[in-house]
Amino acid sequence: MSQNLTYEAVDKIYDEKGKNPVHALKDVSFTINAGELFCLLGPSGCGKTTLLRSTAGLETISSGRMMYGDVDISTIPPYKRNIGMVFQSFALYPHMTIFENVAYGLRVRKTPDAEVKRKVTEVMELVGLQEELKRNPSPTGLSGGQQQRVAIARALVYDPDILLLDEPLANLDAKLRRYMRAEIRRIQKATNITTIFVTHDQEEAMAVGDRLAVLKKGVVEQIGTSDELYTQPRNAFVSNFIGKMNFLESTIAGLDGDMVHCKINGTELVVPVEKCRCHMDRLAAGHEVLVGARPEMLVVSKEPVARSVRGTVKIIQHLGQFVRYEVDLDRTISETIFEIDMPGMVRGVHEHDDVYISVKPDVAALFSKEGRE
Amino acid sequence: MKKNSPSMESIGAESRTKRFFQKDFSQYLVLAVPMVFLAIFLLYPMFTTLVRAFMAPADDLAFHGFSLEGFKQFVVSRLYRKSLYNSFVVSISVTLLTLLIGIPMGYFVARVKMPCKNLILSLGILPVIMPSFVGAFTWVILMGRNGIVRVFLNWLLSPFGVTVPSIYGMFGMILCMTLTYYPFVFQLAYGAFASANPLLEEAAMLMGAKKWRIMRTVTFPLVLPSLGAAALLVFVRAIGNFGIPAMIGGDSYVLPTLIYFEVNGFWNINGASSIAVVNVLITALVLWLQKYMVSKHEYETISASRSEMKLHEGKAIRIMALVFCLLVLIASLLPQLTIIIMSFFTKWVGLFPEGFTLQNYIRIPTYSHRELFNSFYLSILATFLCAILGSLVAYITERKKPKGAALLDLSVMAPFILPGTVVSIALLSAFSGNSAIRLTGTYTIIVISYMIRRTPYVYRSVAASLTQLNPSLEEASTIMGASWFYTFRKVSVPLILPAIISGSILTLTTLLQELSTTILLYSGKTRTVPIQIYGAVADGKLGEASALSVVLLVVVFIIVYGMNRSQGNKMASAFKMG
Ligand SMILES: Nc1ncnc2c1ncn2[C@@H]1O[C@H](COP(=O)(O)OP(=O)(O)OP(=O)(O)O)[C@@H](O)[C@H]1O
Ligand SMILES: [Mg+2]
Repeated sequence: MSQNLTYEAVDKIYDEKGKNPVHALKDVSFTINAGELFCLLGPSGCGKTTLLRSTAGLETISSGRMMYGDVDISTIPPYKRNIGMVFQSFALYPHMTIFENVAYGLRVRKTPDAEVKRKVTEVMELVGLQEELKRNPSPTGLSGGQQQRVAIARALVYDPDILLLDEPLANLDAKLRRYMRAEIRRIQKATNITTIFVTHDQEEAMAVGDRLAVLKKGVVEQIGTSDELYTQPRNAFVSNFIGKMNFLESTIAGLDGDMVHCKINGTELVVPVEKCRCHMDRLAAGHEVLVGARPEMLVVSKEPVARSVRGTVKIIQHLGQFVRYEVDLDRTISETIFEIDMPGMVRGVHEHDDVYISVKPDVAALFSKEGRE
Repeated sequence: MKKNSPSMESIGAESRTKRFFQKDFSQYLVLAVPMVFLAIFLLYPMFTTLVRAFMAPADDLAFHGFSLEGFKQFVVSRLYRKSLYNSFVVSISVTLLTLLIGIPMGYFVARVKMPCKNLILSLGILPVIMPSFVGAFTWVILMGRNGIVRVFLNWLLSPFGVTVPSIYGMFGMILCMTLTYYPFVFQLAYGAFASANPLLEEAAMLMGAKKWRIMRTVTFPLVLPSLGAAALLVFVRAIGNFGIPAMIGGDSYVLPTLIYFEVNGFWNINGASSIAVVNVLITALVLWLQKYMVSKHEYETISASRSEMKLHEGKAIRIMALVFCLLVLIASLLPQLTIIIMSFFTKWVGLFPEGFTLQNYIRIPTYSHRELFNSFYLSILATFLCAILGSLVAYITERKKPKGAALLDLSVMAPFILPGTVVSIALLSAFSGNSAIRLTGTYTIIVISYMIRRTPYVYRSVAASLTQLNPSLEEASTIMGASWFYTFRKVSVPLILPAIISGSILTLTTLLQELSTTILLYSGKTRTVPIQIYGAVADGKLGEASALSVVLLVVVFIIVYGMNRSQGNKMASAFKMG
């Protein structure tokens, strides 16, 4: 049975004694449960690859510990960690057949030939390449999706304790990506190997992962299921990274029982206290905060309604199930253009028209202004 | 990492020492070998050469008695002064002449509409693939007192009252070296002219510039860095060449032959070291000058789009270009032709060869079997070792990136610009006389000298291939559980094998014709074919020398041709830099 993988205060500084050290991981602490498919998500350069390579032992961490069960693996050399890894470039060997590619880890372990043949066949069936195995070409003769499967098979064949996938879908086209991410989830559930899946695509992460961690500049911002991250983002950054979030600049007017009153350019809005994603002492009157609303939480109307702000429609896009309105608001409310999704076309509203934007009751959330980007 | 996995459990109760032994030490052992080799056989000899250069003439290495005797010779001895002067004159003239021939030829082939461009390019690389001393002695046949070319030229020039000077001496050396080394300029100039962006020239034309002005202000400055590199290559080769001055220099000594004179005549290693140091200083100075000039003239290309190169189509320029290229090719390939004819005759002193015979070839097995064996044995063994050494060092500098990687790179590449005679002197100065390890007259010293001189070929080829190779291929192997050595054997080596092979072939073909290093190191036991050819020419046995040269030529040609077939056109480009 596999074990939990725990990071304890892991720090990684590249070029520590050099001229320009890079602090790539800062005090990273969390636990990945046995058999879990865990996603690491974050913008480019946030340290996802670094965390993965440190787990594999390709980079040595500067401080902290990584525990597999109750064993500290931080100092074990990479070739003794029994980990499987799929690289973004797949890293298949062009000088070997696909059979030998997949068998590599078994050959290293001096597995008897008959056993090698059995396990390779088994794992190739799992990834759906039994036909290709019969022809047994060099991996250069396979399509991108097939190469991807060979890479996964190669990492799985020797029953690793942990499987690491570094942006495994980045080299595939959009359609294949969607298909392969379902495949990866199927294969992971079939083998039940603790897996870390790195991506910078939030849709992919939400679709694949049992739980996800959002990283920003080497810091873990939030960990949770897709639903938790989407419905209860801890801060403005996470909320806008997991799905789209529109922000209105506002000032706290006062606290009234369970309701927070905010002023947005003269208009007042009430937000329930349990929707506040910032520290309570931020809620004192006069503090500047952000009111966050997802595209589907906003309403576009032609005539002024209660508690609405005025804006200009820039673009109207009909996207099938809904219509997206891009609306330019007063600079003091929002610097960026709002995205609003309505269930259908709003009668009488055209591009370049002035419209009124209101928030559906009790759905907006409050965020502190720090760390928005 | 299963709970029952023993390796994991043992780590659980780890101690510092245990962790230490967990490390994979095989790599340090394997990678230490090339470092030790380089330290003993490259750095140490260079150091002793420097020490000996400042010692009084003798053959023992001792650290007392500082003396400037060796360098004083350059002031007091007429022979030394003359040699230094000759070296300068020859190298500079050869550099200028190769530029004069190579630049127009490169421009013509790149920019003028003309047939058989590929053939011209391939034939234009031949002179540097073939042994240069072969060219030297065939010019004796062609330009000797009654040589056919001399008679023809004299007839041609008689209206102007000019006669062709003697082939022995400065004229011969310059002629031979120019025809041997012009391919460097030709090939690099061709590359530069062919790849320059024609839009830049067209822009100048639209701005109203005349053709010659465009040439001077746009085209030429852009190809200048390439030409600088080519000129440097020629200069370094010319000042280090031993074969040509040894064969036809006559009384005109140059630095490499002067070194040979000191060693062969007086066994004066210390004196020779002083000359070697001067020789290297000149090379280094020129290298620095070139770097300095080129860095001032390096331009970035600031253009996104390019247009199709417009070729000159005028009749006059097309005829001129073709005639020019043909003349140069004929002149530079005449030696290969001559030597094939000569090998079937007993003598050739007048206009035509006399006494057809097959004896020259029939004699080879009896008179040259030892030399043939030595040549192949030494070259193949050294090539094999070069391949290992060059690949390992490339692997270290590219993959391990140690602190002193730049220094390592520099020291491996240094012999690339060292004249062969200087490498020999360095080895003699370290491993002869009273030194702890005595290698004089052995096979070992020749193999080591070959390795020192030719490792750069494999090193460069493999280093280039490693930079292309994604490190994740090796990392994947590590993660799958392979130790460093397993990964090295099963992943790294197979993937860089093509680079190792092409570097090795280049090494092998140049080693088979090696003369300048071997000449100072061989003994009766270790004579090679080029040494025998040299001896035969010195004794006037041109038939024998030609037959042996033809054998060498054929072997080299077969290797290069076979290589070209299997590796595409990469060989030709490898030779450009080699
Ligand atoms: N070998 C290295 N030496 C120095 N700095 C490095 C090295 N590798 C990564 N970094 C730096 O560490 C930070 C994190 O890099 P990392 O590769 O982990 O990002 P990432 O999240 O994987 O990004 P991406 O999505 O672009 O792959 C970056 O600022 C990067 O520049
Ligand atoms: Mg990455």
